[in-house]
Amino acid sequence: MKILFYCAWGIIYKELLRFVKQKSRFLSALVRPLLWLFIFSSGFKMALGLAIIPPYETYITYETYIVPGLIGMILLFNGMQSSLTMLFDREMGSMKILLSSHISRNYLLFCKMFATAIVSCIQSMAFLFIAYCYGIEMEIWAYVLVLPVILFTSIILNALALFISSVIKQLENFAAVMNFVIFPMFFLSSALYPLWKMKDSSVFLYSLSSYNPFTHIVEFIRFTLYLKFDSSLLFIIVFLFVSSLSLAFMGYKSKKTGSK
Amino acid sequence: MKNILSLKNISYKYEKKLALNNISLDIKEGSFFVLLGLNAAGKSTLFSLITRLLNMQEGEIKINDYSLKAYKKALCSIGTVFQEPTLDLDLSVRQNLYFYGCLKGLSFKETLKSIKEEIDKLDLHSSLDIVVRKLNGGHRRKVEILRALINQPKLLLLDEATVGLDVEARFEILKYIRNLVKEKNISVLWISHLFDEVEPSDALAIIHKGEILEKDQLKNLLKKYNKKELKELFAYVTREEK
Repeated sequence: MKILFYCAWGIIYKELLRFVKQKSRFLSALVRPLLWLFIFSSGFKMALGLAIIPPYETYITYETYIVPGLIGMILLFNGMQSSLTMLFDREMGSMKILLSSHISRNYLLFCKMFATAIVSCIQSMAFLFIAYCYGIEMEIWAYVLVLPVILFTSIILNALALFISSVIKQLENFAAVMNFVIFPMFFLSSALYPLWKMKDSSVFLYSLSSYNPFTHIVEFIRFTLYLKFDSSLLFIIVFLFVSSLSLAFMGYKSKKTGSK
Repeated sequence: MKNILSLKNISYKYEKKLALNNISLDIKEGSFFVLLGLNAAGKSTLFSLITRLLNMQEGEIKINDYSLKAYKKALCSIGTVFQEPTLDLDLSVRQNLYFYGCLKGLSFKETLKSIKEEIDKLDLHSSLDIVVRKLNGGHRRKVEILRALINQPKLLLLDEATVGLDVEARFEILKYIRNLVKEKNISVLWISHLFDEVEPSDALAIIHKGEILEKDQLKNLLKKYNKKELKELFAYVTREEK
């Protein structure tokens, strides 16, 4: 037990150190959603009318609507950045230290995802604080409850990112991931607009978005921020958690890390 | 004397290319064992199999009497230095050591305590709080060796540990490792392609194109083939009949 504890602590310690040392990473992770909140939403809110949809019980501003989606954006990009780091570590050789450990590889990978999720939590809370100062206020319990939800959903996205990093053979291919995975995942979701709006313009895109795991993650965060509970959402999230972890573990099972 | 590492009938293929062909080796406790071979001889593949970076295809590996199938017990008694640099360049030496110590189940305090003596021997005390990126190649290697000693290993595996270093740094590191064998009875598997790193009393295996061509103490092999030096012996053993 002691070994597992220190092992988890070591990985979290390293992730936090990297986070503290790379101030630009924190800044860019924060600036990206803030740009959407302050600039994009200002231009977009007049074009998009929002009906009352769950979990909302009244009309809300567009800025309020996109806050959960922007938290999702932080988690998504942070997960991808972390897997990019792993890819870099794999190419540079430093990942060998992890993979040749006498501790279960799955446990180590889980610790890595958990450590990234902690960093995502810090970034998300900083974003929520700025949003609060901007006038988007939630109930105090929402801030408390959303923390474990962010942690949990972040692990799902980190696991997916980890799986992608296990499939990618070269660091250079990561740019393609941005175009083929991250952006479609983000835009084909309810992060920036409700899905019924999309249904009006394309049923096909609506169907794609409804199956997008990111949509469910954003909705789970949205419901929690408004202190609402949807059991079907929880079921989907648990399913996503198990399946994404399985994918990540499979991806790194007997991973060849050598240069051959 | 007990075998600390035992390889039995190891074969490995990269798709259709045979990288290792029926390798069998035993490394005795407290010995300095050199695996010598040219590039692409299969040294690093063997190293990757022992450290579980690659999955076994054929054969069996035992470390300290534990089969690698029970890797949790087998791997906890080894320390490894990889050919590629594996330190986090943006962290300090101390932070790198702490991270590795945690992976071995040690607290920060226990980590430093376990290598206190070696820090002094390697003259790394003043470098502990320096970011690795600012260290030269020789110092980085020393830190990696120091790190490999954190869990008090019974077997130290070093894959081309001196590659890219100047002669002085190479022999300083080699001398330190040889002293570890003498003073702490640590067994060492030294993988190299450099002839001048092998001494007559060293146990030696010559690997070529995925096969072990000879294994014995260097002095015995020189006698057997009636050769004066290793370079000559190596050329003779690895010659290809036309």
